[in-house]
Amino acid sequence: MDSSSGIQEPFDLIRLSLSERVFVKLRGDRELTGILHAYDGHMNLILSDVEETILIVDQPEDGSVPKNAINVAKRKMNMLFVRGDGVILVSPPSRA
Amino acid sequence: MSEPEGTPPPPPPAEAPSASGSPTEFLKGVVGKRVVVRLTSGVDYRGILSCLDGYMNIALEQTEEHVNGIVTNRYGDAFIRGNNVLYISAAEVL
Amino acid sequence: MLIFSVFKTLTDQTVTVELKNDLSITGVLKSVDQFLNIRLDSIKVLDEARHPHMIAVKNCFIRGSVVRYVQLPAENVDTQLLEDATRREAASQVKR
Repeated sequence: MDSSSGIQEPFDLIRLSLSERVFVKLRGDRELTGILHAYDGHMNLILSDVEETILIVDQPEDGSVPKNAINVAKRKMNMLFVRGDGVILVSPPSRA
Repeated sequence: MSEPEGTPPPPPPAEAPSASGSPTEFLKGVVGKRVVVRLTSGVDYRGILSCLDGYMNIALEQTEEHVNGIVTNRYGDAFIRGNNVLYISAAEVL
Repeated sequence: MLIFSVFKTLTDQTVTVELKNDLSITGVLKSVDQFLNIRLDSIKVLDEARHPHMIAVKNCFIRGSVVRYVQLPAENVDTQLLEDATRREAASQVKR
């Protein structure tokens, strides 16, 4: 039925990523990478060895958009529960 | 806008032979094809639609993320949570 | 249900709950329910200068929907157990 990867429903992609490092894109210009240990149907996640990247866009008072206005804040967390409603996209490690 | 007397009513919209049917049929037909998925944020994901479920959760292959027409990321596989989806558009003939 | 169970096993442990309004609260997890509403005791707000109204608060109830993250005590999370339980729950969810 399916072309190459043999997945029948989207959650198969997540299930096959258990115990692997995944990339997660969240609402609020946040991104995570971490090792996936648990998820559920809401896309609630539990990740370990997490690095969070927050994109901060500087918006000056005059409304102009300067170049290089994007700052990046990073932090690490050991074991993290992520509430599913903030999840936009999950990408497994690219297996070549 | 008044029509002349005796003009027959306009015919029902012609059923295009390829793109006919219900939304469900469209979704069935587009699996395995190149698609554009637009999120409510305006970000586009272009890739091959592996599968989707009733929540519009989507699995894409060979995905490119486009923001304002610029490629900002590439993913081998991507799972998109359905609540973020605005539309799915076929990017090749069905 | 799986994530609910995980939180239940972590009662009486110290966790840090980060809310969607960026407020971070560390406290002892007293209870959790199926909506992942959370009760915390002996709380401490991370950035009290920015949230002065929280200084006198000693315990709180957090509605699950306002949670962004919960930082968990990694030493008390069995990741292998989590992955097995997640696979089992995924298998039990017969889809269409």
